[in-house]
Amino acid sequence: MKHYLNIYVKFLAQHLKRMLQYRADFLIGAGSFLVIQASGILFIALVFAQIPDLNGWSLDEMIFLYGYFQLPRGLDHLLTDNIWLIPSRVRRGDIDRYLLRPINPLFQVIVERFQIEAFGELAIGIILVAYAIPRLAIVWTPITILLALVFILLGSLIYTSIKLITASIGFWVINSMPIMTTIYNIADFSKYPTTIFPKLVQALVTYFIPFAFVSFLPATALMNKADSTGILVGSIVAVSLLSLLAYRLWLKGLASYQSVGN
Amino acid sequence: MIEVRHLSKSFVKYEKEKGLWGMIKGFVNAKKVITKAVDDLSFSIAKGEVIGYIGANGAGKSTTIKMLTGILTPSSGEVTVDGVIPYKDRITNARNIGVVFGQRTQLWWDLPLIESFTILKDIYQVSDADYTERMTLFNEILHINEFLKSPVRTLSLGQRMRADIAASLLHNPKILYLDEPTIGLDVNAKKNMREAIKKMNASFQTTVILTTHDLDDIEELCQRILIIDAGKLIYDGALSDIKTKYGSDCKVSFVLKEPWKDFVDLAKMMDVDPLSITVTLNDDKLEIGFDKRNLSVATVTATIMKHFEVSDLSIQETDIEAIVARIYREGHA
Ligand SMILES: Nc1ncnc2c1ncn2[C@@H]1O[C@H](COP(=O)(O)OP(=O)(O)OP(=O)(O)O)[C@@H](O)[C@H]1O
Ligand SMILES: [Mg+2]
Repeated sequence: MKHYLNIYVKFLAQHLKRMLQYRADFLIGAGSFLVIQASGILFIALVFAQIPDLNGWSLDEMIFLYGYFQLPRGLDHLLTDNIWLIPSRVRRGDIDRYLLRPINPLFQVIVERFQIEAFGELAIGIILVAYAIPRLAIVWTPITILLALVFILLGSLIYTSIKLITASIGFWVINSMPIMTTIYNIADFSKYPTTIFPKLVQALVTYFIPFAFVSFLPATALMNKADSTGILVGSIVAVSLLSLLAYRLWLKGLASYQSVGN
Repeated sequence: MIEVRHLSKSFVKYEKEKGLWGMIKGFVNAKKVITKAVDDLSFSIAKGEVIGYIGANGAGKSTTIKMLTGILTPSSGEVTVDGVIPYKDRITNARNIGVVFGQRTQLWWDLPLIESFTILKDIYQVSDADYTERMTLFNEILHINEFLKSPVRTLSLGQRMRADIAASLLHNPKILYLDEPTIGLDVNAKKNMREAIKKMNASFQTTVILTTHDLDDIEELCQRILIIDAGKLIYDGALSDIKTKYGSDCKVSFVLKEPWKDFVDLAKMMDVDPLSITVTLNDDKLEIGFDKRNLSVATVTATIMKHFEVSDLSIQETDIEAIVARIYREGHA
């Protein structure tokens, strides 16, 4: 464990060093991200210029949800973005090197990159949440703060697990990128109150690809719109099942990995 | 050290037909094509041996190495390396082995070389003292200090290969797998590489398994060779045995000042069976082929020079190159 932590820190230091070398890249990445986010918020503002509330959600609550949504996503993005590259590593035989070192292969994949641009998402998320909180009737106790943090962690694990599941498909399917992006984009449903969508979509993002647990359900729990214990338990169950499934699939993929001829 | 029993590996490919219709058909029932890359291989290797693992392109060498290193899971059969089943316990196995694939680097492409070494030091938990000692040694035999600060992607092929070898040895592995470590190297670089391998083997009793298409590597380094053809082991034994078995063919060529006109019975002159030698005469060029077990080079040259005036002569022994070409061609040894 200490060994892994040590290696993690070493890689992180490498990345920071490199980031300082390529500051321009970082700024461009973060800048373009801000533009995308601004248009998303503008869209919500425009909708609310027409109607006072959406299925019982006020503008401030929507902003809280939208901001909260960025946090688990940003965290996942920051720490485990390299999982996206698994399919291309498989295709080129670059999984070989992970299997030749005395460290957990998935750990090696993950430490290989830190997506520093994700700080953009985290920043937006924190700004929006900070803006919305004083305007909402949330009573902040140490318990709710802890709950909020736990939900962020669980939410980002949902992202990571789903990413790993879809990435592992790359061991059997040559071009798995469309599957990955399609499923990942389903997460966008969680930016808005899931209840505004048809029942089928609600069921899909709650039970099947449980993105609702990423932000919509935690946000309702924090805003006392629903029973928080139930949502917490649901989230823990969803995360456990999903991450177990993801890791199993990844191991199965490694076992059937064929490398490439050389 | 290494035990391999009835080891096989098949690759499954799904053949796709061309065009849209072919693609649709492919979804329903793609034609399954199975390549048996390694077929019922058995051998064992003792500690400290340097093994040459040779075979034609596509024979299955790299596939075998990948099963020994734990990259590939065998289709059937057993393999243990220092008591560990590589694909089942990759992490333990990885601590025991060093691996170099000549065609691709194991180093971090964008980092300065030295950073790759410090990361590997942490990964393999090499102590500071060992690290300093080994880096000094690597520089002595592989001369890596001159490019330690350059990013790996900027290294020349020869430099990169030296760096890769050094990296594979940093944790002083019990076994070193080298898959074409001299590919693309110039004459001097090859020589240095061989020296390095020899030194490591001598100093640390490192077991080495080497695949190569350069038979000089084999002659320089290996006492024992394994030859594989179409996934099957066709020879396992000493290099010298194969040389005595096939290497006794010899040819001596002469340039004669005055070629003879009438029939000359060379066999009788040398007192051998006429069927045991081949004689060709083209203008002034005479070639005599024979088996060294029946006839010595000395007898042949002496006889010819006694009877004819010779302006030039050369001797061609069958080299390992020719022997191996013949074995690959015939598919057995
Ligand atoms: N990942 C793979 N998927 C499918 N077939 C493969 C794969 N790797 C190797 N093969 C096939 O297995 C056979 C053996 O390949 P291998 O790479 O082991 O040969 P080799 O002896 O190393 O050859 P070379 O001297 O050219 O490096 C070849 O027919 C090759 O096409
Ligand atoms: Mg090969």
